[in-house]
Amino acid sequence: MTLVALAILSTRYDMVDLPVWHFLGGGKALDPAGLHLQGEFVESNLGAAEGPARSVTVRMIAQQFVFVPQCIAVPAGVPITFRITSADVVHTLSFLGTDYGLKAVPGAVTEATFTFAKAGEFKIPCHEFCGAGHYAMRGRLDVVPRDQFASLLPGERRTCELP
Amino acid sequence: MSYLSPAARLRIRVAGLGTLVVVFAITVLSLGRHSSAQSKDAEPNSRLNSEPAVRIPSNVAWTEETLTMVSSGDAFRGLLLARRCNHCHGEEGFSSVPGFPNLAGQDRLSFWKQMQDFRSGKRASPVMQGIAEGFPARASADLAAYYAMLPTASDPQDARTFPQAMQDPSRASIAIRLIVFGDGQRGIPPCQSCHGPVSYVKGAPPLATQNGEYLEQQLERFSSGYRANDINVRMRSIARQLTAEEKTAVSEYYGAGLGPGANSR
Repeated sequence: MTLVALAILSTRYDMVDLPVWHFLGGGKALDPAGLHLQGEFVESNLGAAEGPARSVTVRMIAQQFVFVPQCIAVPAGVPITFRITSADVVHTLSFLGTDYGLKAVPGAVTEATFTFAKAGEFKIPCHEFCGAGHYAMRGRLDVVPRDQFASLLPGERRTCELP
Repeated sequence: MSYLSPAARLRIRVAGLGTLVVVFAITVLSLGRHSSAQSKDAEPNSRLNSEPAVRIPSNVAWTEETLTMVSSGDAFRGLLLARRCNHCHGEEGFSSVPGFPNLAGQDRLSFWKQMQDFRSGKRASPVMQGIAEGFPARASADLAAYYAMLPTASDPQDARTFPQAMQDPSRASIAIRLIVFGDGQRGIPPCQSCHGPVSYVKGAPPLATQNGEYLEQQLERFSSGYRANDINVRMRSIARQLTAEEKTAVSEYYGAGLGPGANSR
């Protein structure tokens, strides 16, 4: 039993907190240096996108020392799927005031689905020391009431402006 | 582990081996699962009926080959090629027009990337596009090596405009705050965390001996989106946050030779 438990524990890759099979084959590897050239993380595809039944997918890049996009607007009460990656080192973001957080790992996509029950503004600080400008690396999540969140067009990606 | 009995050591070894075997088995099993999960993953993406037009900010990516190629430039060949640049950027790499950038002591990667972006038109400049077309990637790397070597110490014989005193010295405090601390509340990292001397990121130019007028113009262009060749919207995100006064303050401060690192070379 101990052995089995140890084996299962060790499959959580140390420091990165992702299963090891994230790093072993299966699927195309994501090149952290070439995110801007091709794939789902090109700059024109970042931000909130709408899928069927008003489901929302948010794509984000964490990099030294800004999140892109820095401000994201999403509707409340709808499952929001986040897909994030890093362009350089490991970053962690959390939505301050909620229980949710994500780790951004270079070369891998972290996907998680969260539902924000209430509308509000949540700061997104970086929680993993990522370099000299780490403490100033912040973004913001604007959760707006669902009826105020206008539907997105198929090719539209929504972001917002920090004040 | 010397305090353990031989039997205990053996047990630990067997346990370690067993763990490895089980991990291997789980990995092999999960590979199959992963590939099937992949195909399931692909579905929601394809359900997004249409994708926005892809915008590529720059064709440059900092891959190993690129880094090796750029950092192996030949400074002597660069010296010969630099004759074409002297007229605007100065014989010693310091321009005599405050709106033109100084190239002395410039970072190789940053210099090379801008040349590539001028060539491909990703960074719009009617003057530089034509000139950069005459420099293939290899020649740009040579030029980059040459300019990286040029000293940034002051020279009274040279017709350079750098440094120029700040028009409003009371703005210095704004500049120091942004350069050294940034503004965490607004998500503005300190300039010196990417542009040195505290730390550098790939492709970020050192600013300590840059002309203030040029810097202000570029900040303006980044924030308006006219210049959009920064990889992953990094500099645009930051420049958008700066007020007009902050842009002027930071640019003038660097342009006056007061920025950190100005006297360190």
